[in-house]
Amino acid sequence: MILYIKQYSDFIDDNSDIVIKNELKKIYKLDTRRQDKFIHLAIYGAQLLKDKIDIDCYDELYVTSGVGDVDIVEKTNTCIYEDHEPLRIFDFINLLGNTTSYYVAKSLGIKGKNIFQISDNFTYINTLISIYSSLKNSKKNAIICTLDLNSIPSQTIKRVLGISNEDKVLSAVNCQKLSLDKQNSIAQVEFDTNIYTKDEIKQYIKDCKVDVVFSYRCKEFEHKNSRFFFETMAAYKVNSSIKKQQDIWYIDCYENRYKILKIKSFK
Amino acid sequence: MKAYINNYELLCDAGDTKSLMEAIYANKSAISISEDFIKDAKAGLGIMQYDNIYSLLIDVTSKVLKQSNLDNFHNTLLILASSVGGMQECEDIFYAQGSYTNIDPNRYSMNALSDHLDNEFKFYDSRAISTACTSSANALLLAKRLIEVEAYDNILVVGADGLCNSTVLGFHSLGVLSNKQCTPFDKNRNGMNVAEAVSVLLVQNQKISNSIQIKGVGASSDAYHMTNPDPSATGAISSMQNAIDDAKLNIDDIDYINAHGTATIANDNVESLAVEKLFGSKTLVNSTKAITGHTLGAAGSVEAIISCEIIKAGVVPAQTGLQELENTNINVPTQNITMDIKNIISNSFAFGGNNTSIVLGVCE
Repeated sequence: MILYIKQYSDFIDDNSDIVIKNELKKIYKLDTRRQDKFIHLAIYGAQLLKDKIDIDCYDELYVTSGVGDVDIVEKTNTCIYEDHEPLRIFDFINLLGNTTSYYVAKSLGIKGKNIFQISDNFTYINTLISIYSSLKNSKKNAIICTLDLNSIPSQTIKRVLGISNEDKVLSAVNCQKLSLDKQNSIAQVEFDTNIYTKDEIKQYIKDCKVDVVFSYRCKEFEHKNSRFFFETMAAYKVNSSIKKQQDIWYIDCYENRYKILKIKSFK
Repeated sequence: MKAYINNYELLCDAGDTKSLMEAIYANKSAISISEDFIKDAKAGLGIMQYDNIYSLLIDVTSKVLKQSNLDNFHNTLLILASSVGGMQECEDIFYAQGSYTNIDPNRYSMNALSDHLDNEFKFYDSRAISTACTSSANALLLAKRLIEVEAYDNILVVGADGLCNSTVLGFHSLGVLSNKQCTPFDKNRNGMNVAEAVSVLLVQNQKISNSIQIKGVGASSDAYHMTNPDPSATGAISSMQNAIDDAKLNIDDIDYINAHGTATIANDNVESLAVEKLFGSKTLVNSTKAITGHTLGAAGSVEAIISCEIIKAGVVPAQTGLQELENTNINVPTQNITMDIKNIISNSFAFGGNNTSIVLGVCE
């Protein structure tokens, strides 16, 4: 399965002084009321992509996240149980996954299919498989918006992700416009539905001619682990390789099961 | 490659598939009136008989595995569809202890339910879709597409949502909950019934003797308003038309529309208009949510099972609870109608104008 990347956007919140809500209001003239930070992050990534490439109103939209919006779950429970307050309408609405995809669709002017897919493992690659299967039928293009939000304090999200206290969880959004059509694309990403064992992966990458990048979760391979993490990091690594015009293989792992993404940047 | 629904089972307020269909054909709502969730107010809710959603998931999925031609699910993709995932247990622990400390992270997030099933059955792979009330319809849509591109041979679609404070109080805050058994398409309807269900369908690329084919799937996005559908019904029409086109059928080929039909003012007005504009007054349409309530993320899969059963029975049920039809330009049956049913379209519409329609029918 191959998808071509027409354009991408990337943003890591914790590495930036940018206040997203203000940017959305000032630069993009968007109404940010009633939305939480998770939604703002998604819209911001989408707008950065829109700055770089045209979005068609019938492009399909896929918003995907590792664990979704942890903050809003805590907020609604606290509201009901501790504050004994009626659940606020927009807290309830923001609890639902498709609220984020609605606001992203609205900000991009998309009328096509929109899906919020969540997966605490292989988040990016699983969504690529969904997109590929849909585009084969629809012959349209797709926008993927991958995002994860660090909650403050970060203990809860670290427990959810299984991240050690020494490592840092970041908030990030990475978007791409994807197509089955190679024309005017800047990179391709190749993937399949296969799941590999550690030994199979070792064999597979033995003769690899390009850089092999391992995810944070590939603990059993000797490599320089990043000390920061978010579940949709695979999308960030793809975007980074395109930025550097590199070809890479990205190996992701979850509970001793491995998957491979092959990224080829068009120079 | 074509996609076939070969086995299924569910549990909802009316019981298992057999009990549910008996209730539907007897026009007997399974909604109960509860004062447990909302302070000083009644709400009509669809409540299941079960211990906890995790053991129920295992139980219903085991039944489907037993019915199927598979020895296990090791070569099967799991697509779990839910609007609030593990929220029910998370709430229970938080309310009891006032702290998140003892909540197992693996039973906390949106995909807690898929992880639980995966741990038990060791699926080849798994993922979760959460688009509120279209979640399991979108899971079926994705299942069809994945089988078409030969990505998987077997896909288990599971729709699951348990009643919890967040959803009941959330819909209450929106002012759309009915305090009685809901009455879809009725002129005097006063809202929806939040409900719970677990429904499991095995979708395969090979047909068997009693397969129902997923002939077409369609989706659209209103991007009109966060909670209200586009009043011109363009999103709902587009979703249904896309599914019918995908099935390579004509409007006249659809024998019955299993409507989203939540019984809210907004949904039923717009869905009636969409049906009127697309199908006219001939095609039969009703909502089985009068029996099951709105099972949220499970609704699409529950109604896919109901649609399979209606095709097999050859009987379109009467609209339960209907006293006076609001939109008289659509054909809502007031009694059970025995007929040859080849194709059904089932609608699921969600917040944010997230629309999905599925065409199910006898195998080609």
